[in-house]
Amino acid sequence: MTDTNLKTEKKIKNKGPIRWEAIIPFIIFTAVIFFYFKLFFDLHLKNLMELIGYHSLGAEVNIAKVETSFTKASLKISGIELTNPERPSHNNLVIGEIRFSLLWDALLRAKFVVEEAAVENIGFDQKRKYPGKVKPPEPEKESAIKKEADKLKEEALEKAKTEYQDNVLGNIANLMSGGSQQGELDKLKGQIISKEKMKTFEESLKAKQKDWEERIKKLPKAAEFQAIGDNLKKVKTSGFNNLDELNQSVKEIQKNLDEANNKIKEINIAKTSLDADIKFTDEGLKEIKNQIEKDIKDLEAHFKIPKIDAKSIAVALFKRYTGPYLGKINHYKSLVNKYAPPNLLKKNKEEPEIQIQPKPREKGVVYEFGKPNSYPLFWIKKTLVTSRFVMNSMTPDSSLPLSSFHQMGNIKGEIENITSNQSLIGKPTIATLSGDFPAEEILGFKTQLTIDNTKKDSQIDLNLTVDSYPLSQKELINSEEIQLSFDKAKGSLKSQLHLLNYKNLTLKVENEFREIDYAVQAKNKDVESILKNVFSTAKTTNLIASGKGILPSVDLDIESDLGGKIQKGFEKEIQAKIDEARKKIKALVDAEIEKQKEAIEKQVKIFKDQIQSEIQKLQVQAEGQKKLAENKTEEAKKDFERKAEAEKKKAENEAKKKVESELKKSAEDLKKKLGF
Amino acid sequence: MTLLLKQLFNFLKLLNSDTGHNQLASGLACGLILGLAPFLSLQTVLVLTLVFIFRIQLGAAFLSAFFFKFVGFLLDPVCDPIGRWVLENEGLRDIFVEMYNMPIIPFTRFNNSLVMGSLILSLLLAPILFFVFRALIIKYRIAVVEKLKQTKFWKAFAATSLYNWYTKYDQLYG
Repeated sequence: MTDTNLKTEKKIKNKGPIRWEAIIPFIIFTAVIFFYFKLFFDLHLKNLMELIGYHSLGAEVNIAKVETSFTKASLKISGIELTNPERPSHNNLVIGEIRFSLLWDALLRAKFVVEEAAVENIGFDQKRKYPGKVKPPEPEKESAIKKEADKLKEEALEKAKTEYQDNVLGNIANLMSGGSQQGELDKLKGQIISKEKMKTFEESLKAKQKDWEERIKKLPKAAEFQAIGDNLKKVKTSGFNNLDELNQSVKEIQKNLDEANNKIKEINIAKTSLDADIKFTDEGLKEIKNQIEKDIKDLEAHFKIPKIDAKSIAVALFKRYTGPYLGKINHYKSLVNKYAPPNLLKKNKEEPEIQIQPKPREKGVVYEFGKPNSYPLFWIKKTLVTSRFVMNSMTPDSSLPLSSFHQMGNIKGEIENITSNQSLIGKPTIATLSGDFPAEEILGFKTQLTIDNTKKDSQIDLNLTVDSYPLSQKELINSEEIQLSFDKAKGSLKSQLHLLNYKNLTLKVENEFREIDYAVQAKNKDVESILKNVFSTAKTTNLIASGKGILPSVDLDIESDLGGKIQKGFEKEIQAKIDEARKKIKALVDAEIEKQKEAIEKQVKIFKDQIQSEIQKLQVQAEGQKKLAENKTEEAKKDFERKAEAEKKKAENEAKKKVESELKKSAEDLKKKLGF
Repeated sequence: MTLLLKQLFNFLKLLNSDTGHNQLASGLACGLILGLAPFLSLQTVLVLTLVFIFRIQLGAAFLSAFFFKFVGFLLDPVCDPIGRWVLENEGLRDIFVEMYNMPIIPFTRFNNSLVMGSLILSLLLAPILFFVFRALIIKYRIAVVEKLKQTKFWKAFAATSLYNWYTKYDQLYG
């Protein structure tokens, strides 16, 4: 069997170290790749771009054609249409063509550098051939339910607030129509929150007062201090015959002093506690006063008493106008937040919801060894933006539908130095664009955007001006009582934005409206006539929106001279009624709580005066006795010292005399011995 | 997938045969470099080219790369400080500046501390492991394969028609 196997076994060829047999599979593999890139890659890239665009922008993105070239390292994208997710029948942005080629010199260094890119034929808000697909909202996560509920609650509150603001003119109309609120006011008496608060406060104040009365009873009495004083008076402080007598007196005084100190300590503790209670009481009183003010405001809101001030009217008028723009800003802000690199925005890293997850692999540290004039990782040196308005008779050469070109703008501009490392090239990114959109009657459009990361603090500046743009059927107020809109108007815009470190935002948008035709309708004919009178003289007006703050919470302040004009128009008619209504509400609140409030204030005063004076009195007495003890000790010590000094001197003199007499005697003896 | 499985079967077949210990050992050593290097890097392309051009056992290389990819995770805390130390070395700064701005070289991604550390470690270990793997394969063949062939079970199995059929098939299509 084994022999047969041996015979049948092929003699294995001794193969060399190189796989020559792999040449044909390799050639086939290379050819497949080549044909894939030649035939299908552009199409797949186009589909991929459309898919990514759809998911990131939330609406259909169409690209007519994508052309790539390996040898030129170039990319050409034609006919880009970005659907407006809020109005799918229209595009947000249309770009005729984007083309650029990368430098092979940089590509070989794993860098992406474009000498010159071109963006052509830009258009905004154009009608689509067919409505674009809008991405449905993502399902909410279960864990986010509470968060979402809070958000909804906040939104509801905000909406209520907005509706109240939005309806300022409606409220004016309501008030002008008359109607007594007295009946309803009486019903609301029971709902005044401050009344309840005062009751609770009064009860706690009474309890506190009682506590303190008890506590004061336990504190050292005046008689106890008097006794200490009497004891001290009896102590001998002069005429000490010896040190023992002095020690006896000092001990006696010290004993009384210790007793006084203990009592002082007790009083001081009580004083600190009293101060805290008084502070707490004062705060409670302040809170009640704030609640009373809030109650009045709530009642005013309940009865829809409007504020006849220019500011409130301006906000009410233009809140609806600025709303969609703010919505768009928020939409793009959320996109930036989602897709911008985390280190750029310094996003807060939230704790992951899934507790168990594999340890992510370390990423290491990437070092950049740049040198002057070297390439950054990404750099588009210059992008030329051009767009030309095409008359109906002209036929342009592009992948976009002809109708699109009749809506294109005349735009000219350039973007310089879009890069991943501005400090390496030492230049900021600057974009300038200017032109007109004749089809949309937008004229004199100029913008300059500077993104500067070359310094320690990164700065973004945007200046945008539009000399003229049309407005039609721009709704300002749409409430049950009043419908107000700009029927037709022309506007001009000037805006400045400054963003420091991607956080601190300063924004100012100045709009001038002219040649305005208003459309006014009101339930109340008096209101309608006042508004019509006001608007007949207000053919020009302005809207200044400004904001300052740290992103994302930047409040927008709205001002308009139209507010002032409307205020003047209504003031004569309605101010008296507003004052009367306010007076009624105040009277109701006062009648309900004034007595109680006064009583509480009186009670607080009594509490403070009585307890405080009691404790202060005790403190004075205790301190007096302490001082007396200290004086006595001092007196005794001084007297003893005086005596001791006199004794010392006396002893010294006697010793001196003794020594002198002894010396004299010795001298005499010596003289005698020597025979003088 | 079929190609990959075929390579793995070839690896097992070669491991149990009498020849090709150098092919297997070099495949396993190349797998170490592949496993520790990032997938999209010049060194991966270079090693793969070598593996394809020269008669290095592909199955061994892929199996080893798969294994060392996991070992790589454990070695990250070692590789990262090595890479940092080398890249922050003042004496080598000029070389790195030149390399960073040279064509092709940046595709190695050498400027990443983890890639640099892994590359150094894999280049140091690859020749050592080549000899270690070679010795282990030879030892395996003597200690395991030869002993198995002497067992009654194997002799009985080798006498079956199924085995003969497989041997024939292997000679014709293997």
